[in-house]
Amino acid sequence: MKMLRYRRTAWIALSTVALLGFQAAGAAAADITLNIASMNDPFGAAMAKLADRAKKDTGVGIKVDIMNYGELMTKTTADFIGHTAGYDIITMDNVLSGQYATGGHVIALDALIKRDKDEIKPDDIYPVVMNSLGNYKGVQIAMPFSGYANVLVYRKDLFDAAGLAAPATMEELQADAEKLTDRKKGQYGWVANGQKGPAVAQDWMQYNAELGGSILDKDGKPAINSPSNIKSLTVYKALFDKAAPPGAVDYDWGGREESFRQGISATMQTWSVGASSYGDPDKSKIVGKFAVVKAPPGQGAPQQYGIGGWGLSINGDITKDRQEAAWKVIKWLTSAEIQKELAKLGGGGYIRKSSIKDAELNAMFPFLPVIGESFEKGNGDFRPRVPEYPEIQDILGSAVNAVLAGNSDPKAALDDAQSRALAVFKE
Amino acid sequence: MTESGFSSSGPPKRPATALAVAGPFDWFGLRARLLPPGEPLEARRRLFFFCLTAPVILYVLACAVWPAVVGLSYSLFRYNLLRPQRTAFVGLENYVALWTDPSTRTAIFNTLAFVAGAVILEFVAGFALALLLWRDRLINRVSLALLLVPVTVTPLATGLIFRALLTPDYGPIGYWARVLGISSERGFLGSPQTALATIVAMDVWQWTPLMMLILLAGLKSIPSSFLEAAEVDGATAWQRFTTIIVPVMTPTILLALLLRVIDASMVFDTIYVTTNGGPGDATNVLMIRAVKEGLEFFNIGTASAISALMLALVAVMASVFFVLINRYDRKAAP
Repeated sequence: MKMLRYRRTAWIALSTVALLGFQAAGAAAADITLNIASMNDPFGAAMAKLADRAKKDTGVGIKVDIMNYGELMTKTTADFIGHTAGYDIITMDNVLSGQYATGGHVIALDALIKRDKDEIKPDDIYPVVMNSLGNYKGVQIAMPFSGYANVLVYRKDLFDAAGLAAPATMEELQADAEKLTDRKKGQYGWVANGQKGPAVAQDWMQYNAELGGSILDKDGKPAINSPSNIKSLTVYKALFDKAAPPGAVDYDWGGREESFRQGISATMQTWSVGASSYGDPDKSKIVGKFAVVKAPPGQGAPQQYGIGGWGLSINGDITKDRQEAAWKVIKWLTSAEIQKELAKLGGGGYIRKSSIKDAELNAMFPFLPVIGESFEKGNGDFRPRVPEYPEIQDILGSAVNAVLAGNSDPKAALDDAQSRALAVFKE
Repeated sequence: MTESGFSSSGPPKRPATALAVAGPFDWFGLRARLLPPGEPLEARRRLFFFCLTAPVILYVLACAVWPAVVGLSYSLFRYNLLRPQRTAFVGLENYVALWTDPSTRTAIFNTLAFVAGAVILEFVAGFALALLLWRDRLINRVSLALLLVPVTVTPLATGLIFRALLTPDYGPIGYWARVLGISSERGFLGSPQTALATIVAMDVWQWTPLMMLILLAGLKSIPSSFLEAAEVDGATAWQRFTTIIVPVMTPTILLALLLRVIDASMVFDTIYVTTNGGPGDATNVLMIRAVKEGLEFFNIGTASAISALMLALVAVMASVFFVLINRYDRKAAP
């Protein structure tokens, strides 16, 4: 009798625990809040502002952790290596596609995109953006989220006063930049990044591609000291010597942008994401005096425009239900409606044709057609998206800066860079 | 020494029985086993003090020694967090690669030049300021408080402030220095000839007050009777400085120098935000290289080798100071 009573009590206890467990599991599924590791580009703040709407529209909460580039890399890599599943969605710089793909830390999205293609409408996304912001060797490891085009911004008032039209080729840009440089007045014709490291490497790679150069050869091996690369570095150095502000050899993105906004420099190639800030009277002295056009290629070089930006990846270490929730949020964030909202909030990145053609957005940002045209003929691989990219960028960052500082000549610097790059690839 | 715990000379010691007696805190007889009543008192005292310091020893082993050992072991591997499948034991290959790399050799030279330049200038300026502020006056107290402001600014902010000031295109100092021909066209930070010296000057601005504070504390601890007696005997100010102030302050001076040498060897933030090691390799130091290898490329093997190199450099410099302090102590002992 006593035994029976114990058994009954045990059954009741077990049933209660099971019931509570099921309830808790159900509540957990309904109450998922995803952690998003975001770069502190303008889209980060815009995405954070939409957190409440994300919960309302998708039923999934989002918590956006906005970080600088170094912090983002360190935290997400530690999360991947330690399999701690701290972040569910990760904003991925498109140049890191190779690293992400070979590391195996994020899930492939091909099957999900195929499954939900009616909802996603992939035809509305520019093919170059779809490819370069998340595809590596045929596998989609990230969904494109915030695409940038490399554009030329120039001082329309200075060009008009000098009787010049917007430069259509790199040679014209070089000639105009020299013509508009007046050192006595503190006016310079051109500005670009010169600081050692990623800053100078990324800017030079842009000019290098426009002048027909390439960092890797057709087999994907380093070809850093090719004649066309040496020639493009010579042009870059000449622009620095003849048309750039004296301090530009030490400029990173902030210094370069400030130089243009303060009216010191007449032309600059830059990511389209920053274009809206030149018209902001709180930040800029050139409001109403600038124009945005496509980046000019070198004479005879293929007409192609640099593409960069960020994709959204799903951490492979999180549970299946969180992966499904993450995909739901990614579909929402990359939908036409939310892309427009992000643009209105100052996100600055574009992936969809519908956003570029949107009348309301065009009224706010009149340079959108330039971005659209650049996307149509975009090149997302002018910075090689290989696993060794960070090392290659560092090698180039040292070599180009050494040339600009007068410590080396283009051929010697790129010969040295080539041997270093080969050693990295051999490793 | 007697069983009662009192020796014929030296301070009185506690009776051994106080440690050996089993009682309510005997911890299952462990204490009685560790401290058998028959053992000599000195051995039991040593064991007792060892038990007291054991937590600290364990902490140091876990938080300093163990990571250092693991770091040293990593330096013998080709180990990249992003390419773990390629991990392999390579012996001293990472060290050989560093030594044969001209950029690393420049980084070692720059690190030593930076440490020597910054610490010497900070010491001279800090000592001069400490002597100026020695007397306890209101103006000195106010000056001391104001002079300490740079120490409270983070090195990262210092770098950003100086960068804005020194930009030759629109910086308040940089612009006029360029126009007046004091700096080159590319400014102090943009020229390979002046970049490292400028970084040294920024460090001197920030850390001289700390040096001054430590030395001022040393000056205040000198008994005034020493100096008054010397003055009565007719010693000049220079004689008082060289024969009383400097000898009495030697341990303080060495300690201040040691602290700054260790700290200056790890310079990173200011360089990272101003020049990122450039132009060329002009301001490339070991810490910049280590952070780049470890946190940008996740190349743990190479980063560990650079860290081991830095550890060796700092250990050599610290040993020199410890030898000097010991020599001073022996000389000063009666």
